[in-house]
Amino acid sequence: MDNHKPSKDLFVPVDRTDEQSEKIERPSLSFWQDSFIRLRKNVGAMIGLAVLVILALLAIFGPYMNDHGQYEQDLSRAKVPPKVDGLGWLGMDGTLSDVIEADSVEDAEQKALMRFNNQEEFITTEVLNDGSNGEQVEVKATLDVYSARNIEENFWFGTDGLGRDQWTRTWMGTRVSLYIAFLAAAIDMVIGVAYGGISAYYGGRVDNYMQRVIEILVGIPNLVLIILMILILDPGILSITIALAISGWISMARIVRGQILKLKNQEFVLASRTLGAKDSRILQRHLIPNVLGLIIINTMFSIPSAIFFEAFLSFIGLGLPTPMASLGTLIDAGFKSLQIYPHILLFPAIIISLVMIAFNVLADGLRDAFDPKMRE
Amino acid sequence: MTRYIIQRLVYMIITMFLIATLTFFLMKLLPGSPLASADKLSEEQQAVVLEKYGLNDPIPVQYYNYMVNLAQGDLGISFQFDNREVTTIIMDRIGPSMQLGIQAMVIGTILGMLLGLVSALYHNSPLDYTSTFLAVLGQSIPSFVFAGLLQFYIGVKLGWFPVALWEGWEYTVLPTVSLAIFPIAIAARFMRTEMLEVMGSDYIVTARAKGVNKFGVIIKHGLRNALIPLITVLGPLAIGLMTGTLVIENIFAVPGIGEQFVKAINVNDYPIIMGTTLLLAFMFIFIILVIDLLYGVIDPRIRLAEGE
Amino acid sequence: MKKTNWLLLVLALVLSMFLAACSGGSDDTSNSTDDADTEETDSGDSSSEEEAATGDSEQVLNLLDTAEIPTMDASLATDAVAFQWLGSTTDGLYRLGEGAETEPGIATDHEVSEDALTWTFNLREDAVWSNGDPVTAHDFVYAWQRAVDPDTGSEYGPYMMNGVIKNAEAVNAGDVPVEELGVTAEDDYTLVVELEKPVPYFESLTTFGTFLPLNQSFVEEQGDQYALEADTLLSNGPFVITEWNHGEGWTLEKNEDYWDAENVKLEQINVRVVKETATGVNLYDTGEVDRVNLSAEFVDQYSTSDEYRIIEEPTLFYVKMNQENEILSNVNARKAIQMVIDRQGITNTILNNGSIPSGGHMPKNFVQHPESGEDFRELNGDLVQTDVEKAKELWATAKEELGIEEAELGYLGGDSEVAQNMDAFIKDQLEQLEGLTVNVESVPFQVRLDRDTAMDYDLQNSGWGPDYIDPNTFMNMYVTDGANNKTGFSSEEYDSLIQKAGDELALEPAERFDAFLEAEKILIEEEAVLAPLYQRARAQLLKPYVKGVVVNPMGPDYNYKHAYIEGK
Repeated sequence: MDNHKPSKDLFVPVDRTDEQSEKIERPSLSFWQDSFIRLRKNVGAMIGLAVLVILALLAIFGPYMNDHGQYEQDLSRAKVPPKVDGLGWLGMDGTLSDVIEADSVEDAEQKALMRFNNQEEFITTEVLNDGSNGEQVEVKATLDVYSARNIEENFWFGTDGLGRDQWTRTWMGTRVSLYIAFLAAAIDMVIGVAYGGISAYYGGRVDNYMQRVIEILVGIPNLVLIILMILILDPGILSITIALAISGWISMARIVRGQILKLKNQEFVLASRTLGAKDSRILQRHLIPNVLGLIIINTMFSIPSAIFFEAFLSFIGLGLPTPMASLGTLIDAGFKSLQIYPHILLFPAIIISLVMIAFNVLADGLRDAFDPKMRE
Repeated sequence: MTRYIIQRLVYMIITMFLIATLTFFLMKLLPGSPLASADKLSEEQQAVVLEKYGLNDPIPVQYYNYMVNLAQGDLGISFQFDNREVTTIIMDRIGPSMQLGIQAMVIGTILGMLLGLVSALYHNSPLDYTSTFLAVLGQSIPSFVFAGLLQFYIGVKLGWFPVALWEGWEYTVLPTVSLAIFPIAIAARFMRTEMLEVMGSDYIVTARAKGVNKFGVIIKHGLRNALIPLITVLGPLAIGLMTGTLVIENIFAVPGIGEQFVKAINVNDYPIIMGTTLLLAFMFIFIILVIDLLYGVIDPRIRLAEGE
Repeated sequence: MKKTNWLLLVLALVLSMFLAACSGGSDDTSNSTDDADTEETDSGDSSSEEEAATGDSEQVLNLLDTAEIPTMDASLATDAVAFQWLGSTTDGLYRLGEGAETEPGIATDHEVSEDALTWTFNLREDAVWSNGDPVTAHDFVYAWQRAVDPDTGSEYGPYMMNGVIKNAEAVNAGDVPVEELGVTAEDDYTLVVELEKPVPYFESLTTFGTFLPLNQSFVEEQGDQYALEADTLLSNGPFVITEWNHGEGWTLEKNEDYWDAENVKLEQINVRVVKETATGVNLYDTGEVDRVNLSAEFVDQYSTSDEYRIIEEPTLFYVKMNQENEILSNVNARKAIQMVIDRQGITNTILNNGSIPSGGHMPKNFVQHPESGEDFRELNGDLVQTDVEKAKELWATAKEELGIEEAELGYLGGDSEVAQNMDAFIKDQLEQLEGLTVNVESVPFQVRLDRDTAMDYDLQNSGWGPDYIDPNTFMNMYVTDGANNKTGFSSEEYDSLIQKAGDELALEPAERFDAFLEAEKILIEEEAVLAPLYQRARAQLLKPYVKGVVVNPMGPDYNYKHAYIEGK
């Protein structure tokens, strides 16, 4: 060490005034500004945000991009597969096909014609297995649905069992599901966080009573609540909203409580309290930001459960009244014909997954951005 | 500690009493009657049937009778299954639901925690992205879609496991896997978040600096801290799974309680609705108590806080 | 497989990635997979060995049901599942056989008195209960008395017997003791039944579940536990329930003591409760069950299969219109609603299961003219024609008469599997009428019944299946203040026709039939009380080796007495 001791002559004192020494070189950033800057640097989060914006825009404008109304029915074009010009290679060429098994090629072709109501001129058949190896003969028949039914225009996402345009219905459904998603998130953030925070922070008797109230609320199943709502109101968005508001925030409240119990006796909180900080300040400035990561993650979990809760209600006939659509009801309807007309399920399922994935990636970004410990 | 537990048990009984009272009166608000085919009955005959279920008494009398019977563990007689006791009906059905729920929880939690751990340890690596992506997928695709695909591809096309029904352990495989997807996703996400947080904290850095190896630190310090939010979420979820999920039970034809509950709601079978509600509530409250006690075991700081 | 299956494949691929990731972490899962494999092949081998040994097909039938049996107590049974399995385990006086003809059960024959009020049934002496007791006339007397006894709280007992069996109403009201009911045992093997009025369809009525006999000493011994478990019930029919796991399924085995046991070939029937159509189809494809009902989507896929068949049912669905509603009190408005709905579209596209549009309030192939043998439906033809233009004209007239421009009606949804699509479709069809808004409300089945009773609805999707083979089961519903009317419809002319059919014309089958034809015209064509929709059918897949199952139009859906397995 001694060898490397620099000579004092190498140092020249900087000429600093008192004024300069107090000057802050980095721009002063509030908590939110700083978070936002970090969020912007996160590529994944920005992609997630972009996807959400695009989906939201499509939900708003998508239904007007073609001439079909969401309730417009026409049984003559029911269950038409999707067709987009130029995307035929993706399978979106407006055809249905089926593999027919039989004992001989003739039999199989005969059956293939029957399978599609003998619309001979629109069916192409292809022999997959001519039975020479001792197995059943397999013939693949493909029906051009659009020419067979004489449909001029293209249905980008196909149609459902009543001939309603899936594109329009999917985006109308996305609106409903996004509304429920934001609603669930808001309820979680506001009621859940406040309730859990207060309960844990004050502890003792307050905590005790607040937890008993939660137990009672949890004890009464959602379904019973919903049925009561429907008695008072009509089935629909409003009763779903109220049912979610009553019970949606409970798991959040419990998580926040658990975390705050863990944090509230830690040194930085004690320090702040010793310095005379008020309860609300300690909660807002110290405890909540430290739990934020978990809050965001849990919100992300309450969003799909809320969306699926709505779908479940539709499933048992207590959700949105027909013919309204949400992604949940569309997936539910599509599930029934999963093996035969997968397109009815596929597009709503892809969109709900995209919504979830985008929310999650964004949430991860937000968590990193808000975490005080990751601040540079 | 013993005093605390006794105190909590007393609260538990009071809470159960309140829930029973509340549901009883909520049920009275609901429309409908125990008559399976009211459209075929004369009014006199309807009165006879109502008499059989004691529904002609004034509501306070009905309430008193219900509570007295409840205290003796008698939940009454089902409307839809004549003369069959609700207690027996629920007990018949809770078994399969609980078995599936527990299997799914155990598998889901273990796999999910492993997945989350891998993500956290190899933060921002392709491994992390893959497992996060899988977790997100698991939470965003409805379980019944998984169930339908599993049944068709694994059950029918590949024939590895039975398609549906309930006649032996191999019949539980597909429903368990379908149910486990969601807990896997949840456990993985929470594990990852918490582990990342814990791994960055001072005492872990210190432990690492002192030469404790990576896995030692994780197991000794990391896991313990990550467990708190995990059990908070997974506890109620476990009850949700154990008390049956209608859709999965329907798809795999499992004779569970979820399906029965929804059916009871559809046909206004109040004794079964009430019985199931009370059982559900009891399990929730019990699990919440266990979780609160576990907080103390896992984290000594909370134990101190409770003692204040 | 379809071309669009790449979509499915993508999902499956992602899924298998997920699974691979999971099983990578756990050796247990992969091990257990192997175990299951070997087990399955083992059991496969042993069963084929057995078959080879007997050289004959195993006489086992594997079936599905969509619901649990609510009760096996004949007096308390109300639904199709209960009546099905009561019918398979218990013989009444007669049972329903091929072509809806009655075949002998416990009764060998009967005599009817001149005035058609006294029926004397001669019972066979070789019939026994599964506990060894002989089946006697006293068992019928006890069962029927029990069914109308107010203390039993039976719903179907009074419904089926009031106004048919002498004193049933009075007994049920508690005015006279049960012994006064018009049924007596002259001796152990002679049953005498006195009727309130001549009932031409009484023979078909005796096949119904509520009229099945009960063994008094056994029922009383079991008390309120009677018929709750496999070991607390008795049978005297072709099969006995040997295992009953609630919610899961039940097993029936051949009753060796059955009086006609030599004609029963089936050894065992296994029934499992499965609610999802897709699950049922998958079980059928893997050979675990022998029969499955199909929904519209699956009909597309399986309609070319040799195993596909359609079973007509005499069950009707229709839109009920509440005439207490101002708009629906107008007959032109009701006619417009009748005519505007495309019933062909409903049966072809939404149901797609062989159901046919119905044109009145009597199913096709249900009852025939007693002299000419012509079908009721053919004689009256389609009383409603779909004609949108005419409907719009009628609607315009109705609006003028009512002095309104806009109309809003509530619609209570149906409770079938396809309810959602159906309700959306009907709403759309009705709204072709200018200025009409229809608000669909989906409510659980029970709630719909309650609101029907309270007449708290405007429009309602409703259905009705027959309880006996006679036009009366459909026609007497809409008499003034009838328990099932609930539409506010009241017509003296209609009432007097139904009244006459029940009384003066009871012994004049041809005139009686004409009265019903006339009544239906009033109900549907003139008064437009209902808007007929369709007559239900079942599309199903049946394995070719299942033979001899008889399909019934009422009571138990199927009769398995003569069923057997061949060439499995």
